[in-house]
Amino acid sequence: MKNKQVLIMNGPGLSDLSNFNEMGYGHLTLDIVRKKCAETCKIFGLTMDFRQTDDEAELSRFLQDDIEDFDALIINPAGYSHSSSVDFTIYSSAIKMITRQKKPVIEVHISNIFQQGGENTKPIQVPKCEVGFVSGLGIHSYDLAIRAVNKKLRKN
Amino acid sequence: MNIYVINGPNINLLGTREPEIYGKETLKSISKKCIQQGLKDGHEVKFMQSNYEGEIVEWIQNAITEKVDAIVINAAAYTHTSIAIHDALKSYSGFKIELHISNPHLRETFRHVSYISSVVDAIVAGLGADGYSHVIELLTDLQKRYKQKK
Repeated sequence: MKNKQVLIMNGPGLSDLSNFNEMGYGHLTLDIVRKKCAETCKIFGLTMDFRQTDDEAELSRFLQDDIEDFDALIINPAGYSHSSSVDFTIYSSAIKMITRQKKPVIEVHISNIFQQGGENTKPIQVPKCEVGFVSGLGIHSYDLAIRAVNKKLRKN
Repeated sequence: MNIYVINGPNINLLGTREPEIYGKETLKSISKKCIQQGLKDGHEVKFMQSNYEGEIVEWIQNAITEKVDAIVINAAAYTHTSIAIHDALKSYSGFKIELHISNPHLRETFRHVSYISSVVDAIVAGLGADGYSHVIELLTDLQKRYKQKK
């Protein structure tokens, strides 16, 4: 049987993770996160594609077109509601579509986004859709999401 | 590691209450899985549920005096109302995770406010009943990170 494919998508701003060190989450780089995710996916026999982009057009291409090739999505939207140009509707419309196809979607954040005053980052809101949420476990936010995705994929 | 898993109001109805949202698994079954998962990893899991806010506050206070290592709390509807639980959790210095079976941010707007999220280390939501065992499974690693943080 073909391995299940998981897209792990990191949104704009996540190329540099140095600020999480100051917040107490240890020394992290995107490459460290990628390696840890690859390790965990391997344990469960999942094939992973780990991506990051700062470009809005590319992000929507990944989420709206490329997602066809995947069975599940783990997404760190970072601070989409910062003053950045990233349009929230890219996330909400894509995620709505993906959950309608019954593909598991889990939103992850390295830090606890509610401890930062809450103004910068808000959870993705796609009413009535099924989206998991993990925030504040550091690199383990991804780890837990992968475990949850694996469980969900095996149930479907 | 000593772990308290604290559950709030109506969680005792799991399995029969709005199964399209909360799933068909009963609290008893979740409790059993948590305790078993804990034993496998060398943790002692105490699994509790109450419909009374004050009782939940007292359990958190017990966790402080008994130096419990971690609290996993699904405060259910009290999440959105209880300053008393917020205060109690603030006084507890161990590792604490807020857990929800469904994702409150995708539901009614009155569930979008949490008095708990800002005083816990992490939030796990929308992973169904499996969220509990996933969290227990990762607690050893998580605790390690938390100790480094301190």
